[in-house]
Amino acid sequence: MNEYAAVLIFLFVGIGVVLFTFFLARLVRPSNPYKAKNQNYECAEPPIGSGWIQFNNRFYIFALIFVVFDVEAIFLFPWAVAFGQLGLYALIEMIIFIVILLFGLFYAWKKGVLKWV
Amino acid sequence: MTDQNWSILIPEIFLFIWALFIFGLDLGIKRKNPKILGYSAMAGLTITGILLAIFNGGILFKGMFQSDQLAIFFKVIFIGSAFMAVGSSFDIASEKIRHHRGEYYGLILFSTVGMMFLSSASELITLYIGMELTTIPLYVLAAFYKDDKLSVEAGLKYLIVGAFSSAILLYGLSLLYGLTGTTDIVTMKINLSLVFLSYGKIGPGLILAMIMVIAGIGFKLALVPFHMWAPDVYQGAPTPITAFLSVGSKAAGVVAFARIFVNGLIAFASDVMKPLDWGIIVAILAAAAMILGNITALRQRNIKRMLAYSSIAQIGYVMVGMVAASELGIASVGYYMFIYLFANMGAFTIATIFNDKTGSDGIISYSGLSKTSPIFAAYMSIFLLSLAGIPPLGGFAAKYLVFAAGIQAGYTWLVIVALLTSVVSLYYYANIIKTMYFSAEEPTIKIHPSFPANLVLLISVIGIILFGIFPGPILDWALESAKIFAF
Repeated sequence: MNEYAAVLIFLFVGIGVVLFTFFLARLVRPSNPYKAKNQNYECAEPPIGSGWIQFNNRFYIFALIFVVFDVEAIFLFPWAVAFGQLGLYALIEMIIFIVILLFGLFYAWKKGVLKWV
Repeated sequence: MTDQNWSILIPEIFLFIWALFIFGLDLGIKRKNPKILGYSAMAGLTITGILLAIFNGGILFKGMFQSDQLAIFFKVIFIGSAFMAVGSSFDIASEKIRHHRGEYYGLILFSTVGMMFLSSASELITLYIGMELTTIPLYVLAAFYKDDKLSVEAGLKYLIVGAFSSAILLYGLSLLYGLTGTTDIVTMKINLSLVFLSYGKIGPGLILAMIMVIAGIGFKLALVPFHMWAPDVYQGAPTPITAFLSVGSKAAGVVAFARIFVNGLIAFASDVMKPLDWGIIVAILAAAAMILGNITALRQRNIKRMLAYSSIAQIGYVMVGMVAASELGIASVGYYMFIYLFANMGAFTIATIFNDKTGSDGIISYSGLSKTSPIFAAYMSIFLLSLAGIPPLGGFAAKYLVFAAGIQAGYTWLVIVALLTSVVSLYYYANIIKTMYFSAEEPTIKIHPSFPANLVLLISVIGIILFGIFPGPILDWALESAKIFAF
């Protein structure tokens, strides 16, 4: 149990340090807000309208298909590192995996998802 | 290695490839023949069943994947429920979802593959992956009527609740791993006993793990108090998918529960182990499920909502057999799910056909069905009476076995609750029969199911009557499958 008590203490100390720093900064800094200072600067123009606009949902489909192959790449890295010991068996397994994913891309393509109309 | 018996994986591999094949077929045939996809999905499931009969028995991946009797018994239920869900989908496939037919059937098959993996898993990670593969296609399927707000709501609710419950389940499983140092369920059982014997107690971590796993699987089972998603999802989802959810996905939850609790944590199922006794927790939840499910179902005016509450109550009855944690208990659970497959799939198939014809799910619109379509009214009565547990139908034998197992294990109070709520349930089941047969209103609707839907109904009716009168073969098989747990 003692090791866990250390974790708990660490947690409280961690939260405490952050709160204390904020408190300290508040004591030290001068407080002088004015309109020009409260504007966002160095971040381009002031925004027009709300951020909650409708995006074109075609972006969503492209992003989705991209994510599939993005995740595939993550799987490829450990496979490539351990490939020396695994040999032919692993190669075949990875080929099957990629073929299934490619089939998904092919299906999406044939269904006209990739067409930007 | 002696245990590398790849052939036992053939049914799963075949069904997976067949699902991909259906996706491909959808691209190939366009819209020439709308029925060919449905028939090929049914054919694929039939072939998987045959392959399962040939290639079974053995372990693979050093015991992570077991093709034992319990797994095979439940795999038959999964394949059966997918077969019936596909069979009752032909009308919606040619109407509402005609642009996405291939995806619809393909996803049903993917989900079935997940259930089959889940039932064979004797190890926590395989089990979890099987459960994810089961539910992720179901999220999409629940929201398949993209233009229907109720369906989209159903999909979204199911997704959020499903993801939430998966996370809770995963926390529970990781605690179990932390306590025992293994993900293999049998080794976990041994390690837990060793710890218990050497120290005389196990810390509160195990209680937390048990509660989390019960909650995680309880969400999938729609066990009270984790049931609140079920009525909305069941109402909004396409009716064949609702049926598949209520039978296939529930059976998957049941087998996962049996693997983890009745196998891995069996030592903690008795009063002696207080407060580590999971039996009493599950018994209380089961009692709550039966009371709440049955009483709320009384007030429903929509047949899908009524069947949703009825299925919440039914899972309570199943859990009576589960807490018995004996050979008879597990056998009765298997038998119950087997009969439930026929009765519930049948009732939902009628609801599907009726909705295709009239666009209505209201119970009131079933009035006078006995005059225009006497056969289907009779079918529906058989399904509902079986769900209520009236002899000589299958539901009676199933309830009898579950209650016997409960009494044998000393849960007399639970069986009394089950008996009383069973009487309540008869009221709302009989109410539909009354509406169909004795309504004063003039009947206007006549239903003509497609051939596959007719086939599904016929299989269900024959199954209920046959296995109700002769429970022997299925019961023997269920008892055989229960033997894999060393009681």
